[in-house]
Amino acid sequence: MPRFILPLLLALAGLILFGQGAYIHAKALVAQVLLERAFEQTIATGRETKPWSWADTWPVARIEVKRIDARAIVLAGSSGQALAFGPGHVEGTPDAGERGVAVYSAHRDTHFAFLKNVVVGDEINVMRSDGKQFHYRVDATSVVRFDASGIDPLTDEYQLVLSTCWPFDALAQGPERYLVHATMLGDAPSSR
Amino acid sequence: MTTCDEIEADKPSEQPGLIRLVLFFVMQGVAVILVGFAALFLSFEPVWSAEHLPANYLKPGDARSGSLLIKNEEGYADASRLGIDVDLTVSGPTVRARVTQIFRNPTTDWVEAIYVYPLPSGGAVDTLKMVIGDRVVVGDIKERQQAKIIYEQAKQNGQKAALTEQERPNIFTNSVANIGPGETVLVQIEYQEPVAQSGNEFSLRVPMVVAPRYNPAPVVQSVDFRADGGGWGSAKSDPVPDRNRISPDVLDPATNAPVNPTRITVRLQAGFPLGEIKSHHHAIKTEKADANTSNIRLAEGPVPADRDFELTWKPVAEKAPSVGLFRERVGDSDYLLAFVTPPSVEQAQQKPLPREVIFVIDNSGSMGGVSIIQAKASLIYALGRLQPNDRFNVIRFDHTMDVLFPSAVPADGEHIGRATSFVGGLQANGGTEMVPAMRAALSDNAGDANYVRQVIFLTDGAIGNEQQLFETINALRGRSRIFMVGIGSAPNTYLMTRAAELGRGTFTYIGSVEQVEERMRGLFAKLENPAVTNLTAKFSHAATDITPVAIPDVYRDEPLVLAAKLDKLAGSVEIKGRIGDRPWVVTLPLANAAEGKGLSKLWARRKIADAEVARTTRQASPDDADRTILALALEHQLVTRLTSLVAVDKTPSRPEGEPLKVAELPINLPAGWDFEKVFGERPRAPVTPTERRANADEARVQIAALKRVQPVATQAPSTVTLPRTATDAELKMIAGVILLTFSLILLVFNRHRRQMSLR
Repeated sequence: MPRFILPLLLALAGLILFGQGAYIHAKALVAQVLLERAFEQTIATGRETKPWSWADTWPVARIEVKRIDARAIVLAGSSGQALAFGPGHVEGTPDAGERGVAVYSAHRDTHFAFLKNVVVGDEINVMRSDGKQFHYRVDATSVVRFDASGIDPLTDEYQLVLSTCWPFDALAQGPERYLVHATMLGDAPSSR
Repeated sequence: MTTCDEIEADKPSEQPGLIRLVLFFVMQGVAVILVGFAALFLSFEPVWSAEHLPANYLKPGDARSGSLLIKNEEGYADASRLGIDVDLTVSGPTVRARVTQIFRNPTTDWVEAIYVYPLPSGGAVDTLKMVIGDRVVVGDIKERQQAKIIYEQAKQNGQKAALTEQERPNIFTNSVANIGPGETVLVQIEYQEPVAQSGNEFSLRVPMVVAPRYNPAPVVQSVDFRADGGGWGSAKSDPVPDRNRISPDVLDPATNAPVNPTRITVRLQAGFPLGEIKSHHHAIKTEKADANTSNIRLAEGPVPADRDFELTWKPVAEKAPSVGLFRERVGDSDYLLAFVTPPSVEQAQQKPLPREVIFVIDNSGSMGGVSIIQAKASLIYALGRLQPNDRFNVIRFDHTMDVLFPSAVPADGEHIGRATSFVGGLQANGGTEMVPAMRAALSDNAGDANYVRQVIFLTDGAIGNEQQLFETINALRGRSRIFMVGIGSAPNTYLMTRAAELGRGTFTYIGSVEQVEERMRGLFAKLENPAVTNLTAKFSHAATDITPVAIPDVYRDEPLVLAAKLDKLAGSVEIKGRIGDRPWVVTLPLANAAEGKGLSKLWARRKIADAEVARTTRQASPDDADRTILALALEHQLVTRLTSLVAVDKTPSRPEGEPLKVAELPINLPAGWDFEKVFGERPRAPVTPTERRANADEARVQIAALKRVQPVATQAPSTVTLPRTATDAELKMIAGVILLTFSLILLVFNRHRRQMSLR
């Protein structure tokens, strides 16, 4: 019956779109589980372990905000593919625990959705894939343009920046980024 | 059948009509939501494109106002253009230059043209003329603020006006107001400059383009979003407060033809029979008028203003005259200019002290292209010249810095080899934080008095915070001596000369790879031979005002240059000093001085430079120094930091009500520069600490303590570009739900209609 074709086509398109959206969320959730496993293994074996055989990235750190019970496994690189699975460690910034500003970036609606609940004073724990732990305290938040972050990755401080898109409840992509600035607690490590 | 349905469906009926009305409204609601989404997409479209297109007009110290952006959108294609004519006359020891800038306005608007251009840092600018048709308006010297007011007033009134302001001793701005549609206005400035001499060779240099400067970001930029920043607004002043005034737009040579065609002619009256005449970076045609005089012009017509013009000449005689004495009478005073080249005395008695040489090489983005090749070649040549008992170290800097060895090491084969490979691997990239590098070079912890400490600093000097560098040198120089090596086609001559003066060293320019060996050999002759020290000048009869007051040490093959103002031209001047361990005296009878031109201006210019130095070194309070400068500038009609030349045409030309547009004239990128290295948008920070560590030689140390003194917290070029961190998951899900709802509604609607038609 021709009168059913249009509604059915619409329904199909709607389902596909909805499915795609849900898939993004599902991928983000499932990937984190796999990543968690790979990360544990990385720490245990000391070797870079890929979360699944065809992955082009690997876990480099775990970040955790205890107060709001949020955690995520950070991946190497911040390409679009990597960000689908977890927060990315932005290229060109030092590792957590090194001198400079380590920048981790993730999607505002998946892994870093919890950033809107992070407040100044929160403690962020970062465990690197070599098993070292570092504690940071959030000391500021800001909104900047993606190309004017004002972050100097080579500064002398030991800092961490978590970045995601701003505003949180927008639906489309925009040029603004929300940054959470944190500074390392305690003395700088003498590891280097 | 379908037609039938529709006809039936259109039939009015009471009860279903209500349902249909409700459905209609629901549908309309859905449609509105859909349209709303479409609008949302459209409204974000420009934002996305902004994300993709790098802002190409970005500049080192970018802070553009809205009005200028409008001008940028219009582009320069039909904006005002400029031609330059440089006419130089060399009379013995001095150069008189007349620079004519031809401002042409091909547009149909009234235009104010603004052009930023360089002049030699020792030049005394004393004349401004504006030529409109056959009328000539001569400018007056005024205090800077007052000149600006006069100019603005004339601009408002529609009168043609020209203003010459000094931004740096070697950067000037000309503003010309009210150039009518299709009109051409000539602005002529004139300056006086001493001829430079080194050994047997005399030279002059005409800078033609202001190289893009790296302006360290003010500290406030980095703290203004910090929650804890109490009173950050006044925390630190901008290291380059006038960044906008020294950063004209630079055209990308890849997409723009060169602008600002320049003609150069030189009338060379050396005062002695001329031997070889050489232009180092431009092809020239030389016509010999007589033995002492030559006329020189560019062989291939006008050239783009994108590199310095450098002319050297030698006498026919084997030896250049070692003494020159010139006089000029202005008002009731006599002015004297003396050049004396001390003899080269070989040190027979004792071996020279071993040296501790600190090499500093600038590998910032502005050094990209051929400059870094020249700098590396120069440094590798210099490493080869070290003696085994010397010590050395190498520092490289961009907006970061590396010190090769923790402290100076003996110049043995192994260390030299390591330094050579370190230098060979350098890439030009990033910003130019020169002050921390200078601090590192001057940190003299060994303090071993058995070594002569020399800092050789290779850079193009493309920074806007020269004053900070000078203050650093003045505060930290200790026993170190600083030798500046200016690299590239348009080095910052002001930075080179003043830094060398404050560092009690000397400066050398290397403008091409071919010059590396010759110039570096000359520099090493200066480094390896004892300087002439403890210099004093005494006039037997006349009361004098000498500049420089404290005569700096003179290196091998350099002349001692003295300018003096005398009450009477009588008696003689006795110059005394020590060459290494030997005393040296020379007496010049003043009666033998030859007539010279513009010597009073040179004396005044030199006095003004002395006052600026005294201000830097805190020997004079800023107020005192400014008073001295102002008095000298007004008396001798010179453009300085505090005085400007302004010329106003009496008759108004722009009809009332006609708007005036500002055209800041763009400049060329200096020849041999790499546009992308200076302005290119780098999507990621160019070098990461991890990568650098990975590539680094094991012996290489990053001295954190030295980095920490860096006065600038944020550099624009090294900022992190944040990735895109929004998914379209929600958008897709919402759109999906809407489509599903919509199809459901259609289904219900259809069924309803079917039921009705069946009924």
